[in-house]
Amino acid sequence: MRARIVIMKVVGAVSTLAFVVVFNFFLFRVVNENTVESMFRGRNLSESQIARLERQFNLDGSKWEQFTAYVGQLLHGNLGLSMKDFRPVTTVLGEALWPTVLLVGTSTLLAMTGIMFGFRAGWRRRSRYDVGVTTFSMFTYSMPDAWLSMVFLGLFASGLGLFPTGGLEDSGSNATGLAQLLDQAHHMALPAMVLAIAYIGEYTIVARSAMIDTLREDYLQLARAKGLREADVRRKHAQPNARLPVVSLSALNFGFVLSGAIAVETIFSWPGLGQLTRNAATGPDFPVLQGLFLLFSASLIFANLVADLLYGRIDPRVNGR
Amino acid sequence: MSTSLRRRALGVVLASAIGLAFTSVAAPASAADPVSLTVGLLQDVDSPNVTVGYTVAAYELWNLQYATLTDKAADDFATIPGLAESWEASADGLTFTYHLRDGLKWSDGEPLTAEDVVWTINTSRDQEWTNHAATTANLTATVIDDRTLTIVTSVPDPKLPTMDVYIVPKHIWESHAGTVDDLAAYDALDGVGSGAFTLKERKANQEWTMVANPNYWKGAPAIDQVVFRVFSDGDAMVTALRSGEIDVAHLVPSQAFDDLKSEAGIVTVAGAQGGFTELAMNGMAGGLGDGHPALQDLNVRHAVAMAIDRKALFDRVVKGQGELVDTLGVSPDSVWTPTLTAEQQLGYDPERANALLDEGGYLDADGNGVREMPGGGNELTFRYAERSDSVNGSAIRELIKGWLSEIGIGLDVSVYDDTQLGQIIYDGTYDMFVWGWTPFVDPDPMLSYFTCDQLTTDAASPGYNDANWCSEEYDALYTQQNQELDRATRVDLVHQMITLFYTESTYVVLYHDADTQAYRTDRFTGWTQQPKGVGPVVFSNTSPSYFNLRPIEGGGGGGDSNTGLIIGIIGGLIMLLAIGGLLLARSRSTADDRE
Repeated sequence: MRARIVIMKVVGAVSTLAFVVVFNFFLFRVVNENTVESMFRGRNLSESQIARLERQFNLDGSKWEQFTAYVGQLLHGNLGLSMKDFRPVTTVLGEALWPTVLLVGTSTLLAMTGIMFGFRAGWRRRSRYDVGVTTFSMFTYSMPDAWLSMVFLGLFASGLGLFPTGGLEDSGSNATGLAQLLDQAHHMALPAMVLAIAYIGEYTIVARSAMIDTLREDYLQLARAKGLREADVRRKHAQPNARLPVVSLSALNFGFVLSGAIAVETIFSWPGLGQLTRNAATGPDFPVLQGLFLLFSASLIFANLVADLLYGRIDPRVNGR
Repeated sequence: MSTSLRRRALGVVLASAIGLAFTSVAAPASAADPVSLTVGLLQDVDSPNVTVGYTVAAYELWNLQYATLTDKAADDFATIPGLAESWEASADGLTFTYHLRDGLKWSDGEPLTAEDVVWTINTSRDQEWTNHAATTANLTATVIDDRTLTIVTSVPDPKLPTMDVYIVPKHIWESHAGTVDDLAAYDALDGVGSGAFTLKERKANQEWTMVANPNYWKGAPAIDQVVFRVFSDGDAMVTALRSGEIDVAHLVPSQAFDDLKSEAGIVTVAGAQGGFTELAMNGMAGGLGDGHPALQDLNVRHAVAMAIDRKALFDRVVKGQGELVDTLGVSPDSVWTPTLTAEQQLGYDPERANALLDEGGYLDADGNGVREMPGGGNELTFRYAERSDSVNGSAIRELIKGWLSEIGIGLDVSVYDDTQLGQIIYDGTYDMFVWGWTPFVDPDPMLSYFTCDQLTTDAASPGYNDANWCSEEYDALYTQQNQELDRATRVDLVHQMITLFYTESTYVVLYHDADTQAYRTDRFTGWTQQPKGVGPVVFSNTSPSYFNLRPIEGGGGGGDSNTGLIIGIIGGLIMLLAIGGLLLARSRSTADDRE
C-alpha cells in the first residue's frame, strides 16, 4: 500500500478522535450544570464542602478553563477522578477492561464460526441446509440478548443448578492458577453462550449473502471449466472474494468488543466495561462515563482503521482507487 | 483452514468443554473452609474511604470495620457504650468526658487510645470530611490520658453525648491526611479497624471480603468472614439467594419479594428506615423559575392533597411494602413522628377538594374539564416531572393524574433522569415532582433541609430545600430544637415542625418506603432487626446482625451440594455429545463435498 494512503487514513482517524474528545467534553457539560449538587443530594454537605468537591472534579471555573484543563490532563494520559470513589478513571477502566475482553472476545470468536456456516449455506443456496441455517440465524439474530440471558439464568443456573448465577469467580474464592481459570470458565459459560448465540446470526447472514454475490461470477464458471473440484472452486475462488464484507464486519465487531454487552454483563453481574457503563450512568459518574465514551470511540476508530488498512491486503483493487 | 488445523481447533473446544464440566467438581467445600456469610448488593460500595464513600453499602462496610465511641441499641437506637464504657456531661451541657474501655486494640494489634479518637474528631472538623463534618463541626476534642478524652461543643448540641462518627486508626491515616485532597486520594484498603470485621480483599466490581477481628471489644464474632457480593440485576440476585450462593439480599424487586414471602427456608423483611416518597409542589419561595401561581394558594395545595387516595396508591404501587405515614420521615426512630388530629389530617376527600377549588374561584368556565385561574386566566394544568430512575414513577403518575383530573386539574407530564430533575428543581421550572429522601437517626439534618437557608436563590449555588417553601415560624422552631438539650422538649418541638410542614402541604408524603430484604434460614440464626420489629436485618443504622449471627451446625450452602455436582457432570456430558454430533455432521458434509 502506498505510504500516502496510509498516512491519510491515520490522519483521518486521529482527527475523528479529536472531534470525539471535544464532543465528549461538552456533551456532559450540556447535560448537567450542577453536577456535584445532584451527585451529593441528601448528604448534608456545607457550601464549602460542595465548593471543595467542585474544585476536586475540575468543575469550578469557566467552561473554557474546564476544557483546557481536561485536554491538558488527557494529553498526560489522565482521565480525571471518578466521582464515585475519587480513584483515577484510568484505574477504574483498567480493572473492568480484562473481564470484558475475556467475555466478549471469547464469544466473538465463538460467533465467528457463523462465517463457516454462512459460506456453506450461501454456496448451497436454497438447500435444506441453507434454509435451516438461515432460519436459525434470523431467529438468534432477532432474539433480545437480555431476554435470552434471563432464560438461560432461569434454566441453567436457577433451575438445573449447572452454572453460577453471575460474577467472575465464586464468592470468597482464593483459587489461583488452573483452579481459578476453571472457576472463571464456569462463571463465563452462560454469558459467553448468550453472547455467542446473539452474535452468530449476524456473521452467518453476512457471510451467506457475500457468498451468494460471488456465485454468478464468471471466474467460478472458468474454474469449473478448468475441471476443478466443487470444493476447490468454493475454497480457492469463491470464498476469498466473499471475504471483504466479512472482514469489515469482523473488524467493526472487534471495535465493539470493548463497549461490551451492557445488558448481558448487567444480568450476569460480570465486572466488565458494560456493567461499569451502567453503574456510571446511574451514578451519574461523569468522569467515568466520559472515559468510557472515549475508550469506546477510540477502539471503534482504531478497528475501522485496521479494517481500512486490511482491505488493501485482501483486495488489491481497493488500493487502486 | 487446513484439515489438521481444524482438528486442532476442535480439540481446543473439546478440552474447554471438559474443563467446564469439571469445574463444578473442582471446588468441594473442605472442613477448613471459613464460615462465610455472603450478602448480595445491588449498589456497590463506592469507596472504603470514610471521607469519600456515601453509598448505603459503604456505610455497611464501615459499620463493620470501625467501632464508634458510643453505640446504638439494636432495639430503639438508644445511646449505649461503645469504645467508651462511660461518660459524664458538665453542668452547662457543653463538655463531655468519655472513658475508653481497658485494653482496646486495633485489628493490627496496635493499642487504640484517646489519641485516635481526638485525632479523628479534630481532623475531620478541620478538613471538613464529608461524612463526619455535620457531627464534628462545632466540636473540640482533647486527650486527658490514654483512656480519657473530653469533647467540648461551642453551641449546645442535643446530639451529644452520642458520638457515632467512625474513629479511624491515627497510625495509618495520619500519613495520608496532609490535606483533604490527599486523604480523598487514599484507597483505604489497609483493613485496620476496631469493629467486628475488617476489610481483607477487594475484587473490583465483584465483591468485598471482610474477616473477623479477634481484637473487637465485644470479642471475636462467631462467623469468620463476610463477603459483600455485587449484583447488577435484582432478579439474578434473587436467583442466587434461592440457590444458596448468597445468604441475604436487600432491595429485592417487589414482585420477587411477594413470591419469596411464601417460600420455605426464606424469611422476608420489609425494613423501615424512615425513608419516604413525596409529591412536591413548587412553593416558589426561592424566587427562581416559574411555578404555577395556583400552587401558591394553600387551598389549592390542600385540594391536591385531598384528591390523592394514598391508601390505594400504597396498596397498588408498592403492594403495601412500607408504611402509610402522613408526615415527613425525619428519622428511622418513630418517636419523632407526630400524631395528627382529625382536623389536621388531609385525608382522601375529592368532594371537599372540589369544594375548596370552587370556593377559591377556580372554575371550569369553558367546560373542557380543566379549571382556570379565578377570573378566567391560565388553566390549572401543572407540569409534572416524573423520575425515569424510579421503578414506580410511571405507576404513581398514572394514579395521580387520574385523581387530579377528577377535581379539574390537568397534568403535563415530562420524564427526567435524576440529574436533569435536580437541575429543574434548582431552576424552579416545575410545578410538581415525585421523589424521596432517607433520613439519618438524628432528625436534625432532614429538618434543616426545609429552612429558608436551604432555599435555592441562585441556581449556581443550590440548596437542599426542594419543597421550595419556608417560614419564619419553622426556622425559629428549627433553631430551638437544634440546641434543646431536654429530649422531651426537643421531641415536642420537632413534632410541631413536622405538623406545620404538613399543614403547609408543599410536600404530600405518599408513603414511607421499605428496604425489601430476604434471608435464608438454613445457615445462620441471630438475624437482628434494627429497630426491633420494623427495621431491616442488614443495612440498618449500626448493622448489629453480623456480630449476632451464629452458624447452624451442618447447615449447608446450596451451591456445594451433591446434586449440583451430579448435574454438573451430566451437563458436561451433554455438551460433549453436542460437540461430538457437530463433529460427525461436519465430517459427513466434507465427505459430500468430495463426491
